[in-house]
Amino acid sequence: MSIYDTEGQNFSRRLLMLGGLQAGLFLVLAGRLQFLQVARSDVYATLAEANRVNISQISALRGRITDRSGKLLADNDRNLQIRMVPEQVADMDVTLNDLGRLLNLDRSAVNEMRRKISRVPSFKPVVVLEDLSWDAFAALNLNLPYLSGVEPVVGQKRVYPHAQSVAHLVGFVGTKTREDLRRVDDIVGDHVGRSGIERHFERDLRGTPGVRHVEVNAIGRTVRELQSEPGEKGRDLALSIDLDLQIFSAQRLKGLSGSAMVMDIHSGEMVSMVSAPSFDLNKLSRGIEVEEWERLVDHERKPLVNKAMRGLYAPGSTFKMLVALAALEDKLIDPEEKISCTGIYKFAREEFHCWTSQGHGPVNMIDAIERSCDTYFYDLALRVGIDRIESMARRFGFGKSTGIDLDGEKSGTVPGRDWKRANYDTGWRTGETIITAIGQGYLLATPLQLAVMTAALANGGKLLQPRIIKTDNAVEPISELRLKPENLAIVQRGMYRSVNRPDGTAYASSLLIDGARMSGKTGTVQVRRISKDERLTGVIPNSKLDWHLRDHSLFVGYVPHNNPRYAVSVVIEHGGGGGQVAAPIARDIMVQLLKNKNIVRPAKLVGKDNSEVAS
Amino acid sequence: MSYQGRSGRTTQLVSIGLLNMPLIFITALLGLIGVMVLYSVAGGDFSPWAWRHATRLAVGLLLMYAIANLDLRTIFNFSYPIYGGVFLLLIAVELVGNSGMGAQRWLNLGFVTLQPSEFMRFALIMALARYYHTLHRDDVSQPLGLVVPMAMIGLPALLVFAQPDLGTALMLAASGIGLVFLAGVSMRYFLAGIAIAIAAVPVVWNYLFEYQKERVLVFLDPERDPLGAGYHIIQSKIGIGSGGLFGKGIAQGTQSQLNFLPERHTDFVFAIYAEELGFIGSIILIFLFAVMIFLMFNIAAQMRHRFSQLTIAGFAFALSIYVTVNLAMVMGLAPVVGVPLPFISYGGTSLLTFMAGLGVILSMERQPMADLPK
Repeated sequence: MSIYDTEGQNFSRRLLMLGGLQAGLFLVLAGRLQFLQVARSDVYATLAEANRVNISQISALRGRITDRSGKLLADNDRNLQIRMVPEQVADMDVTLNDLGRLLNLDRSAVNEMRRKISRVPSFKPVVVLEDLSWDAFAALNLNLPYLSGVEPVVGQKRVYPHAQSVAHLVGFVGTKTREDLRRVDDIVGDHVGRSGIERHFERDLRGTPGVRHVEVNAIGRTVRELQSEPGEKGRDLALSIDLDLQIFSAQRLKGLSGSAMVMDIHSGEMVSMVSAPSFDLNKLSRGIEVEEWERLVDHERKPLVNKAMRGLYAPGSTFKMLVALAALEDKLIDPEEKISCTGIYKFAREEFHCWTSQGHGPVNMIDAIERSCDTYFYDLALRVGIDRIESMARRFGFGKSTGIDLDGEKSGTVPGRDWKRANYDTGWRTGETIITAIGQGYLLATPLQLAVMTAALANGGKLLQPRIIKTDNAVEPISELRLKPENLAIVQRGMYRSVNRPDGTAYASSLLIDGARMSGKTGTVQVRRISKDERLTGVIPNSKLDWHLRDHSLFVGYVPHNNPRYAVSVVIEHGGGGGQVAAPIARDIMVQLLKNKNIVRPAKLVGKDNSEVAS
Repeated sequence: MSYQGRSGRTTQLVSIGLLNMPLIFITALLGLIGVMVLYSVAGGDFSPWAWRHATRLAVGLLLMYAIANLDLRTIFNFSYPIYGGVFLLLIAVELVGNSGMGAQRWLNLGFVTLQPSEFMRFALIMALARYYHTLHRDDVSQPLGLVVPMAMIGLPALLVFAQPDLGTALMLAASGIGLVFLAGVSMRYFLAGIAIAIAAVPVVWNYLFEYQKERVLVFLDPERDPLGAGYHIIQSKIGIGSGGLFGKGIAQGTQSQLNFLPERHTDFVFAIYAEELGFIGSIILIFLFAVMIFLMFNIAAQMRHRFSQLTIAGFAFALSIYVTVNLAMVMGLAPVVGVPLPFISYGGTSLLTFMAGLGVILSMERQPMADLPK
């Protein structure tokens, strides 16, 4: 019995030890449960919800872009697409071949699909084919059961009814890229604006995306839709552009390289703004071949560049008004004082030529503007000095971007003593003042800056921010230039005569519609050095020079002469004389504008009534 | 009351009222919880698992009752032959077994597929109990008295390990060693054994298959492979944790219903249970297992034969480590080793062997004074 007892005690003790161990383990498990299900329950509930619910965005319809009267410039259209989730495709080669046969695609199209697939992680849906016809789309839907991982999608695409005329202004869209995501943090939708309005107003145009909550299972297949918030359509934008004038201007610049624009001198609205040559927005928005893209980028006439705000040119004679104002404002010359032009101006052993070798004889300020006498301004330059010229140019907005609602605007160059020191590490030479006075040398401006300058000359000295979005609100100018009205009147009279007097450089471009005439100023900018020998034998005419050596042709002006309303700025690269090329274009655009009563609203009077200029 | 004659033949069936009703009740309750969870796992459907589990539960209860009717001497006499037979089956599996999930575990007998490693757990306990029953108490800690049980445990464990089924092999070894501990083998050997085991870790590590190593590494850091080996643990923890205090309700667990949890009807069944019935339901389940084990230990303590003592306590210990390891694994406290949750996980062999074991316990409790050869 004793053996049994000790054995029994021993067994009971061991049993107790195991039981105790087990009880301890169960307590650990209970503690773990408490941690998972009570203490951290919220965290795991969130994780379970995240597992369960897949949130996807429904891209909002992109806002449309219209001209000032509601004519469509950019619209949306149905885009039948094929989307694939590569990891859900059983055999990619077989599927691609099947698709190729089904849709009659050639080998390169199939390879393009393969390339698109290889660029994204395999669990991400990728659009492999776009712009399908209804027939192809129907054929695809019919064969869907045999094509795992392939999804037909009705997407959106951007269409531009007037792709060539508004190309630079409206801009194009592209499929979003990594860089886009960096630029605009919460990009959604298929497309993102790449240039022009489409880019600058991306946030307005794209709207608020909708959200779709779907319950998914472990492999991501949708089980059911839980809730959906429809997105909010992007904002429609009405541009200040008048489509008819825009199309007319684009047509007028056909075959040329340059830009032309019309600006409302009271509101700053751009009524037209074209750059030539142009490109097809629709093509670029669809995505073009690399070679074609490179051809556009490398083209001598830079079709992709909006020359209206990214082209930099010496303003030439169109700058003379500012030099005249600089002199008048500080009473450095009597406008009636005559300076004699012999065709050659000598200063410090250097010879400066007037554009006409015969010379203009004695001319006062108004004559000098009318006939664009360089000699008068050479002489005036020495009296005014570079500092005043620089200051006046800056007051008129040169050297600074105008602030138009488009990306990539250039600001140009206003040379001066500090600028010369900073950029060339040498002092300013007086000879350079002489060149600057006729708008050449280091001075560079965009055609848009010239339009803003012209508007300020015409509206009594208000510097406006040019705008591209139609506005009904009153506009505050960037600055009041506080120029004396009588000084402005002298400059305006010179500009009037330049177009309307037989001696004026733009007389061939004069117009008269319902009593309205145009005032303006030509500019011809030399892009090459003319040697002494060439001057002796006679300057080679533009028509005999290579295109890229010909002069730039400029014209700025405004209508009507007695109650200004619109400013115009035309710059034709290597076009020749300002009076021969740019001025007639400006006249044609202005005639078109004046004939169109819809655009010409009764204008508020600005400053003093200057109808006397017409006398 | 039944009476068993000297011949060992049962003259009439034992009245159910004489059997341990609390134990039977808890067994049936756990089995029914299994039916419920499997019903839920199938998205609120009795097929494919719940019906079959319920059928097996019924068969299991009948089997339990039938075994409870057996004469203890019969059980005693068959303990070695059963062990030998199952051992041969393990060898047969090694030679001709069907592969499932990359391991040879099943033996297809034409009408039924058997998983001999599940039977071995039960056979080993009875064989060891019989061995210690006959071994003189003084020889328990003697070299020969140690070598024989080690061989009885080690050989089948190695065969199962070779299938390869690390989880079941470890369970088998642990169950056997637990019994050796209960038999009263000197504590010094266990302390030495633990020391050797720790020292052997690096050696064993080299012999593990890649997937086994991966499981251990993933257990230590589930985020190491969240979509691969770590996926089980992460999703299981999400399931349990998101259940909260009261659970999401039967067939309402999103982790389960949306297929985020793999193997949710077998080894990971508790994650579903915990997701749908919450902390309270989970504690109740653990409590039920604890009561069951307590009842068994209690019966074992009342036994007078070493054979009965050790069989019942060994079986209770085996059950407790299955429950513990499975729950710890599902809760992310132990590496993923393929161990089912007794009575609840779907799987015929597992359910039936546990219930057969309970039948043996019922039989032993009924015959505390049976005359067994020494």
